[in-house]
Amino acid sequence: RRPPPQSGPEGWGLGGGRRLLSLELLEEAEDLSLALLGTGLPGQLPPECRELLVGFANSSVRLTGCLVRSARPVRLCQSCYRHFQSVTEQLENITRAVGNSSESNCAKSLLMSDRVQLVVILSQFFNSTWKTANCANCLKNNSEGLSNSTIDFLDLFNTTLMCFERNFQGQAINFVPSNHTEVCRNCSQTYRNLNALYNKMQKMTGQGSDSEHRTPLCIDVEDAMNITRRLWSRTFNCSVPCSDTVPVIAVSSFILFLPVIFYLSSFLHSKQKKRILILPNRIQSNASLVNIQEKYS
Amino acid sequence: MSRPEPDAEPREAAAPAERPRPGRMANVAKKVSWSGRDRDEEDEPPAAGETTPLLNGAGPGAAGGPPHSRPFTHSPFLRLGQLSSVDLDDNVRELETEAPNQFPSEIPHSEKLLSLKYESLDYDNCENQLFLEEERRINHTAFQTVEIKRWVICAMIGILTGLVACFIDIVVEKLAGLKFSVVKDNIDKFTEKGGLSFSLLLWATLNSSVVMVGSIIVAFIEPVAAGSGIPQIKCYLNGVKVPHVVRLKTLLIKVCGVILSVVGGLAVGKEGPMIHSGAVIAAGISQGRSTSLKRDFKIFEYFRRDTEKRDFVSAGAAAGVSAAFGAPVGGVLFSLEEGASFWNQFLTWRIFFASMISTFTLNSILSFYHGNPWDLSSPGLINFGRFDSEKLGYTFQEIPIFIVMGVVGGILGAIFNALNYWLTMFRIRYIHRPCLQVIEAMLVAAVTAAVGFVMIYCSSDCQPLQEDSVAYPLQLFCADGEYNSMATAFFNTPEKSVVSLFHNPPGSYNPMTLGMFTLMYFFLACWTYGLTVSAGVFIPSLLIGAAWGRLFGISLAYLTSGAVWADPGKYALMGAAAQLGGIVRMTLSLTVIMMEATGNVTYGFPIMLALMTAKIVGDYFVEGLYDMHIQLQSVPFLHWEAPVTSHSLTAREVMSAPVTCLRRIEKVGTVVDILSDTSSNHNGFPVVESSPDPTQVAGLRGLILRSQLIVLLKHKVFVERANLNLVQRRLKLKDFRDAYPRFPPIQSIHVSQDERECMMDLTEFMNPSPYTVPQDASLPRVFKLFRALGLRHLVVVDNHNEVVGLVTRKDLARYRLGKEGLEELSLAQT
Repeated sequence: RRPPPQSGPEGWGLGGGRRLLSLELLEEAEDLSLALLGTGLPGQLPPECRELLVGFANSSVRLTGCLVRSARPVRLCQSCYRHFQSVTEQLENITRAVGNSSESNCAKSLLMSDRVQLVVILSQFFNSTWKTANCANCLKNNSEGLSNSTIDFLDLFNTTLMCFERNFQGQAINFVPSNHTEVCRNCSQTYRNLNALYNKMQKMTGQGSDSEHRTPLCIDVEDAMNITRRLWSRTFNCSVPCSDTVPVIAVSSFILFLPVIFYLSSFLHSKQKKRILILPNRIQSNASLVNIQEKYS
Repeated sequence: MSRPEPDAEPREAAAPAERPRPGRMANVAKKVSWSGRDRDEEDEPPAAGETTPLLNGAGPGAAGGPPHSRPFTHSPFLRLGQLSSVDLDDNVRELETEAPNQFPSEIPHSEKLLSLKYESLDYDNCENQLFLEEERRINHTAFQTVEIKRWVICAMIGILTGLVACFIDIVVEKLAGLKFSVVKDNIDKFTEKGGLSFSLLLWATLNSSVVMVGSIIVAFIEPVAAGSGIPQIKCYLNGVKVPHVVRLKTLLIKVCGVILSVVGGLAVGKEGPMIHSGAVIAAGISQGRSTSLKRDFKIFEYFRRDTEKRDFVSAGAAAGVSAAFGAPVGGVLFSLEEGASFWNQFLTWRIFFASMISTFTLNSILSFYHGNPWDLSSPGLINFGRFDSEKLGYTFQEIPIFIVMGVVGGILGAIFNALNYWLTMFRIRYIHRPCLQVIEAMLVAAVTAAVGFVMIYCSSDCQPLQEDSVAYPLQLFCADGEYNSMATAFFNTPEKSVVSLFHNPPGSYNPMTLGMFTLMYFFLACWTYGLTVSAGVFIPSLLIGAAWGRLFGISLAYLTSGAVWADPGKYALMGAAAQLGGIVRMTLSLTVIMMEATGNVTYGFPIMLALMTAKIVGDYFVEGLYDMHIQLQSVPFLHWEAPVTSHSLTAREVMSAPVTCLRRIEKVGTVVDILSDTSSNHNGFPVVESSPDPTQVAGLRGLILRSQLIVLLKHKVFVERANLNLVQRRLKLKDFRDAYPRFPPIQSIHVSQDERECMMDLTEFMNPSPYTVPQDASLPRVFKLFRALGLRHLVVVDNHNEVVGLVTRKDLARYRLGKEGLEELSLAQT
């Protein structure tokens, strides 16, 4: 009644796999015994709910595995969106079960009958991760696949990386650390295209909201771009901007010099503004003035 | 002085509010034989004055003072004070005869002057018979309507202030965004190809041309709109009538000016001017009309007097603070701190209402503008952002550190003020022509851009690009995907820079960048404040403080090898508070404003400590920036209390004497002559009993104001006309209110020769119960009465209720506690 424990699509070493397999079998046995134990009593979890729970467990295991495996380099959205979708579906099944059968209220017993509420915590974690990564941005509207622009971008990204690889290998033989002119020359066009596409995508996402809270692109695209840029300007040292220090210094010192002239000339040529003093008339003998001065000196 | 013959026609030579300058004197001298203030005739023997029948007794020196000196004998006027004591008179004579040798004299501008330009507000209600009649006529319900109207006006003040704040915010954001994107594109282009000096030129030219427009409108159209406006509003709330300060024109210039100077990239903020704008809005709405536009909406006529207007202005200032910082309570406290002597509970509650409405309006409009309606998350023009109190809590051990930061803030603030003092003095003395002022502003704008550019150019502090941290990331020489971190500080509007200093994660700035930025921005801000552009000093101070505070935090984290509590953002906030406190020296309101702007009550205590220390340390060296500018403008500003060592001074020494008095039934010609006397622009005249016998005691009966006299003359309320039944109706209080606040000058009122011989009965119109003090009252006593009641004239009487002198604001404001004890300021024509 539950799918056989599956090994991941790729990656596990044989030994580790076997250990994990045995662990999983053990868990399953425990599940079964608990389920059998519990069915008799009215307060225990009904079997259909248990089924839902196990379904959620399986899908979240798959999603977690996928997330961790595609953490570096970031491939979250590309590789895990199906898993994420299935987790969402499972959760929906649980919540929707409320209406179906009133006597076996699965949602209530699974989602809110204890303090920890593990299912909720897990689903919140998945959701927030998905949101932080902003995967929705590079998926189609109904989350059924990568959006066209993302696919284009990833294609171009792969091309660029290939170009880098091709040109770099030629140079790696006579290893000169800073001089990668060949890479720079040959791949410049692809790199520029990639950059332009990235900027275009950025602009498109930023259109809806205001400038302060721009929604970022999805993490896959961002990370891919970051990697490329770092390779391009740090490793290959390709972006060498022209620095024209002399004219900048000349112009700025000219501007900085202007106020000096201004203040000097206004000091020398402008007539100082004078105030005309006015004698107040009041009954005040000289004696009292002296008096005050004595008092306070 | 130079009083024309009784049969001479009223002079039109000079406005009464202005003293004749030597140039104008020629005009007057044509009609009168001699002028004591004409410098060309300075060496004329003073005896000439004594022999002239018109000028006997009153020497030219004595005539210079605000109280008009009166002829002793065979004159239509009463000479009061001559009866009081004989030797007193001798003293007066002695002084008077010496006077021509010393005066008039010219001195360079200094802070120890009081300008004649400023007058007092009439805060004291004139309870004359008209007033009593009106009160009797209006029944209880009508007074309730008045009360409701007050609330309506406060609501409108709040709404309009909020709207103006929105307008400024949105326009600044749009224009600054446009400017930065143009410059950024240009820089990006030239970074690849070379020729960055063109970008520099472009940036500098853009800045200075925008600032030029902003400066031209201020310098040539409305100079009072320059600066932050807080000193002016402080003066207004203190009771000084600053010319043009609450006009519609000032508001327009202020709003446009502040937009242009912020867009022009000067080291300024748009928060201070909001307070001024709020005040102007309040003054305008409460009057129900605009004198500039010549539109009278015939509403709120009850509020057309200084008392009501000033109450509304304090509400407007509060609404302005509240819109600027999202701090309604801070706004109320600001008004309380600045105008506290005229305060009552109901007013406070109304002001709070206006503040709340203002911040709510701003919030809701901005929420629509930002596309998330009714989100209400941006209560002010500057939003310090959320300080997560869990992460950024403070511990007991940190309190000494905050106090140390307060000390640093105080010292830096004192240096700032001292530098600005010298600069302002230089500006007043030498850069007083409008075109020079415009050029100066342009130069400052260009230099600000150049300094910013050079700093960005030289900085090698590159930080990885994050999506929402930087509005205009400049890459320049950084690797792709990184931005120049100096550019976040310089290549941005100051408000955004402050927020990024508060909130960017640790490690976003390296210490070198912050140090250079603090140093440069400190001098730029100091240089900028006092230019002829409308701009505030709040944000630059916060920015300087946030920069060195963050530096402080980073060094702390380094010293403690990365302790959890040493979060640079928190120290940036404390540094900002300390720096602002060190510069402006406000205490209560500033603490609350900072608290509300951060939205974090927990920080109240450390902010208070930092501000307090900064104020104590700063006050040890120089005074606050606003007080300093008030002094430099020679405003007769009354502080909280009289100087502490002034108890030995009595009212007799303080007052002005002799006093120009009017009789209860006075001849029209006399009144016209007194009013049109250019040498004295008195505003209040004690009214004494009119008795034909000059030896009889002439007791004080009341006080009448110049404005009232002018209205009386305009309506020709003469006894003879009343007897002939020529007067259609009796004058009402409304007639006085309609003329408010710009009463026509006396020259515009024509009084024919026959009418000069008529008599005026002032009994109904004068204030029958003016405040008086005996001659022996001490200065602090007089001061207290004056300050607490918001008086304009305080009559000094002797035992027989005879007028011996008059105390006005300038008589009190001239005593100041200086470095060497009590100082006396001199009056000057500015």
